[in-house]
This record gives sequence, C-alpha cells and structure tokens, in this order.
Amino acid sequence: MVSPRSPIQNALQAAGAVFGEHSGVTAVTDFGAPIGEAAAARRLGLADLSPLPRVGFRGPGARDWLTAQGVELPDEPNQARTQTDGAIAITRSWTEVLVLGRIQEADSLCARLAAGAADAHCARAYSLPRFDGMFWFALTGASAADCLAKLCGVDMREPAFPVGSVAQTSLARLNAVIVHVDVGEAPLFHLLGDSASADYAWTSLLDAMQEFGGRPVGLRVLHALAREFK
Amino acid sequence: MKIMPCPLNGPRNIQEFTCGGEVVAPPDPDRADAAAWADYLFLHHNAAGIVREWWYHVPTSFWFIADRNTVTDEIVRTFLPRELFGADARPDHP
Repeated sequence: MVSPRSPIQNALQAAGAVFGEHSGVTAVTDFGAPIGEAAAARRLGLADLSPLPRVGFRGPGARDWLTAQGVELPDEPNQARTQTDGAIAITRSWTEVLVLGRIQEADSLCARLAAGAADAHCARAYSLPRFDGMFWFALTGASAADCLAKLCGVDMREPAFPVGSVAQTSLARLNAVIVHVDVGEAPLFHLLGDSASADYAWTSLLDAMQEFGGRPVGLRVLHALAREFK
Repeated sequence: MKIMPCPLNGPRNIQEFTCGGEVVAPPDPDRADAAAWADYLFLHHNAAGIVREWWYHVPTSFWFIADRNTVTDEIVRTFLPRELFGADARPDHP
C-alpha cells in the first residue's frame, strides 16, 4: 500500500523535512534540528498532521450512531471532546461530527468508524471522507493565540476560547476549523481546511509566525508534548 | 468590523457571510402564472425598514434567517429556519 501524501508534501521536502513512521503513517519526524524544535514547540511551532486519519459523519442519526459506537460527544455545536484513546470528537453543528485520530499512537477509532459507514448509513449518519478533502495542521506554543489573531477575527486567547472550544471561521481568508486542545503547558490548536488551499495556508501561517520566532516542527516534538501531558 | 450574530457560530465578522435575499414564500406551483413566478424570482420588495432575509455562514455552509433594518443596517435578530418553517425545515436542528 502506498502511504498517503500530505497536500503540502513538496513544501515539506523543500523545508528539509525528515519523514518517518508515526502513529502508523508516514509523516514528518522533524526538520533536521530536533533540539531547536522542542523549544519552538513551546514558543510557536507548526506541524503538518495531514497524513493522520480523520473522518466525519452528518445526518439526523449522526449523534446517536456515534454515541452507540462509544464516541463521547460534546452537548453543543462547536465544541471538542478528547476521547479516552486520545482521538478528538468535534461537533460542527447539531447533526455533524468530525473525528480526528489520535496523534500519540496508531489510530483505531477513525478506522473502526469508517469501516462501519454502511451501518451508519442505515442509521441516517452519513459518512464524510475528510481525509483527502481537508489539510490538518497543529499550531502549538505560548504565542499561538497571538499568531492566530493576525489571521483570524475570533479571539483565541484564554478565557475567551478555552480548551475544548471550536471555531469554524475565516483563517487567512480561508474557511477553516480551529480546535483548542490541551497538551499541558503549551496551547495547541488543530487547524483544518480545504486541502486544495493547504500550500497557501502553510505559507501564510509560517509568514505570520515569523515575528514570534515560530518555525515548522515535526511529530516527534508533538509526541513529546503529549507524553509530558500524560 | 461589522458583526453578525450567527445562530450556530456566535458573533462573527460580516465578511464570513453572504446574504441570500428576502425570505419570500414561493407561489403555488399548480396555480401561479408566469407573472407570479417572475415576481417571485426577479422582483424584490426592497423595503426601507426591518426586512427578513436569508443569510449564509460560508465556513460552515449554514443557512439561517435575520431580521435587518435596511435604513440603519442594524441586525435586529437572527434565528434558525425551523422557527418559521417548523421542525421539517433543514438545516440542522433536532
């Protein structure tokens, strides 16, 4: 089987990305300077998580079907709930949910949900294959909310945008989903948007990050952050 | 920055929205003549005062209804379509 490529594969290679196996997929390990990246992840780092699994469901039966599969859902739209295995369930409306596979270890939840798509269809929960259509980045570090303020009209700072908050809004004039999750000391925002605009989003974010000393980081430091948090 | 209170997403920059035009009941398809259809499709009331309009939040593909004062451009109220059309109306509310 051919490993899925990131929509920004060329940009990653041009930036000196070192690829490796992470959580069951081929993704960026680091950009050649792991020690500097660990510090950057606490200050301001941008990681590409696009090769990791994600899946969506929409329909009048979406909530009930996902709950029956053991997914814990937030009560209201625009909220995120971290599952016991580390996956994240995001309510995009009253009848739509996006599930992000865990980044700490190989995904099992998204694969199980995707395999049950036919069963879900019968329960009026229609699967939305979000893997090819959406890029997935993670912006991490103490300056992450300040950096997002340059690109987005929604206040991403605490306490206006606490952990578990979701904003579906305009990011650098792209439609995007922004999710605030907790990985301990450093804030982390998952950013998802149209994969056709992934190169533009990656470049715009790196440009906005310059004044804060931000830089691209690999999954190694995200794993380290997640382990510390555990 | 002008703010639109979206029933799904909360207060947002008006640039995230597109106006879908006045909320107008379609004519009865069995009885309407060409003039009635033309009026429905092409003619707008364009009233000065509070009008009821469809609005669309682009990042979430979410349609809702807003009462807006066209004289002051004040947004009086926004709400889900089911409030007007009942629970059968999509989108999106249990």
